[in-house]
Amino acid sequence: MKLLTHNMLTSHVKGVTKGYPLLIKATEVKVSEEEFNPNFVSRMIPKLEWSALVQAADGLGHLQDLPTELIADYEANEDFLRKVHRVLLEVEVLEGCLQCPESGREFPITRGVPNMLLNEEEA
Amino acid sequence: MEPCLENVKAIRRSKEEKKLLRKQIKASHTLLKHEGISTVSKPTKSLVVANGGLGNGVSREQLQVVLGEGGDVETLIMHPHKPYALVTYRTEVSAQRGHVLLNGRQLQCGDQVVTLYLSYVDTVDSESGVCAVLPPGLVLVEEFVSLEEEALLLDAIDWKSHDEEVTVQKALKHRRVKHYGYEFRYDNNNVDKDKPLPGGLPQACVFVLERCVRDRHVKVMPDQLTVNQYQAGQGIPPHVDTHSAFEEPILSLSLGAKTVMDFRHPDGRSVAVVLPGRSLLVMKGESRYLWTHGITPRKFDVVPACDPESPVAVTSDFSNHSNLTLSRRGTRTSLTFRNVRRTPCDCAHPSACDSQQAPPSPPSLPRSQTDACRLEAEYVHSVYEEIAGHFSSTRHSPWPRVCHFLSSLEPGSIVADVGCGNGKYLGVNPEVFAMGCDRSCALVQICSERGFQAFVSDALSVPLRSDICDACISIAVIHHLSTQERRQAAVEELVRLLRPGGRALIYVWALEQEYNKQRSKYLKETREQAPPGNSTDDHNQETKVNSTDDHNQETRVKLSVHTNRTAFNSQDLLVPWHLKDGGIKKGGRVSKMTKDPPIDTKSPVLAPCPVFHRFYHVFQQGELEELCARITGVMVQCSYHDQGNWCVILEKTRDR
Repeated sequence: MKLLTHNMLTSHVKGVTKGYPLLIKATEVKVSEEEFNPNFVSRMIPKLEWSALVQAADGLGHLQDLPTELIADYEANEDFLRKVHRVLLEVEVLEGCLQCPESGREFPITRGVPNMLLNEEEA
Repeated sequence: MEPCLENVKAIRRSKEEKKLLRKQIKASHTLLKHEGISTVSKPTKSLVVANGGLGNGVSREQLQVVLGEGGDVETLIMHPHKPYALVTYRTEVSAQRGHVLLNGRQLQCGDQVVTLYLSYVDTVDSESGVCAVLPPGLVLVEEFVSLEEEALLLDAIDWKSHDEEVTVQKALKHRRVKHYGYEFRYDNNNVDKDKPLPGGLPQACVFVLERCVRDRHVKVMPDQLTVNQYQAGQGIPPHVDTHSAFEEPILSLSLGAKTVMDFRHPDGRSVAVVLPGRSLLVMKGESRYLWTHGITPRKFDVVPACDPESPVAVTSDFSNHSNLTLSRRGTRTSLTFRNVRRTPCDCAHPSACDSQQAPPSPPSLPRSQTDACRLEAEYVHSVYEEIAGHFSSTRHSPWPRVCHFLSSLEPGSIVADVGCGNGKYLGVNPEVFAMGCDRSCALVQICSERGFQAFVSDALSVPLRSDICDACISIAVIHHLSTQERRQAAVEELVRLLRPGGRALIYVWALEQEYNKQRSKYLKETREQAPPGNSTDDHNQETKVNSTDDHNQETRVKLSVHTNRTAFNSQDLLVPWHLKDGGIKKGGRVSKMTKDPPIDTKSPVLAPCPVFHRFYHVFQQGELEELCARITGVMVQCSYHDQGNWCVILEKTRDR
């Protein structure tokens, strides 16, 4: 699970109103090189919840020099876009779980795949 | 904090490094040729350390220190006479670091210098929840026959008449099987009790049976024998021998090479049992009626190093690794003696018993959410889990009009594929960010292995933020929902995910397979999916059966089984799927155990493939649009018929 995906995921446990962002508890993280596409990264930025991204990256120990606030005029700032690219697409959680911040319910991540299925009572 | 390994990839290959790589590759070829160890190029947690073996004079202590430079070592296996070691690190990152630091490393061992070459190998999974004792009722008797007796028995088995029936190709791919005493029927995995085979059990085996009776392993002389011959790399999927076919105990004599047999309890506990050559395995009680047994197709087993004659069950507690070693498999022949059962089974394990379990009542259209969930669990979700591998292999050509929809999206769009299956559409447009979700773990894993972002979830509750998607697709998904309310809820969920102005593409199977006088591909193609004359494929019959409940006045509509490649006669039905290649995943791992363990599969390779039924509600013309019209805040942009499907593109309107 990449952090870009994590930024879109939310808890859908019945009755929960503050299920975003999910807390990441990682036991295995992988960093791998992905081809940098500045236009793609640029277009993703407005769709992100920036603070959730920073929180997630920090929790994994991969925040490095990513700014905690979104900077202005990021489209033309290749240096900044590269930092965002690394955090969004190169850091992957392979094993661990995602935790609903309100209910505490944990969703396991196995071989990079989060299992978000709810039981009948929770749906 | 883990050091960044991005630099690893960026290292320029110097002449020295190229030379090292050549030597590493040569070492891995040697290992494959002489030791049967195959290396993989993708990083894993495990590495083979060529030249790092006890056979080279490298000591465990020395190697342990050196390997520790990479990170925490979980297991280190060193066979006494081999020129290599197998190391599994706690994490893949450590393994990668170990590889970088130690590949080409030279060690001083006494007066010799040894150069280590490291390559990745597939990690052996350790099972969770393993116990160190044998399953209840299981007894292993060592040296039940002598070496001379073993030779006599092997000689007595006549494979000649067997091989005339089966082609050489099949014999090479699968284990060889031969039956004596009673004919084994493949259509019900049972013995034909009225058709004893001429000749009975081979004369050469009589002394074995007499010994079993004398030693009180069995009371009555067995009357059925199945001989299985396994080459290295062959196995048998986990199963319970059919209760109604055979009594207990079941006796299995191992001849030739030793092997490891895996026993699994329904609650997940597993025990690996070493079966040495010339040993007798006696399966009684739970070990015969409840635990499944199977042999993983492998060329090597991990067994206790010291005291190899001990029948101690192997634990997967690898912290005790200094006692483990590798055992290469050789040819093993098993003689399984059984008593044919004449009366129904009345064991204490009805959950696995075909005599005691009532046959499942045929499904009917659900009338409540709970019924609907149960029907879909049995006739959609568990089926896809079972057939995932085969299903994925038949789903490789993306449909052009779906591709067109995806390709025409703005670069940088966020797309959700709800019910993504094997991820067929996730890579169609590389300019967008696509996420797939599916109810089947097995299918989602396939997506992940292919490098896509995917997660497991239900289409009725997708764990994504509202208004986040520029587009959604739902291809051949909603027709698996068994009530109109649930189908509508699925579309509403897609709409929730869309941003205002976003669009969803929905495909569902059409009742009308012929449209504009054109027959759909589904009707046109005559594939092996519906083998002719197969008695398990009922012709379409819609039967209304009165409920046996006196208080219930309504009739329940029974779901009919459809005949593949023919026109649909009704909208709600069960469509057969004939599974090819069983449930065995790539790499020889046996399929995940389902709730009901599969009954006896000790049958030759000619057994027919299993059939699964999937629930479908096929849509009438106009029905999908009508459904969308009931949802507020959406507009049907267009609708069309495409290869036997009704399709709509809907748009979430900007002001809701």
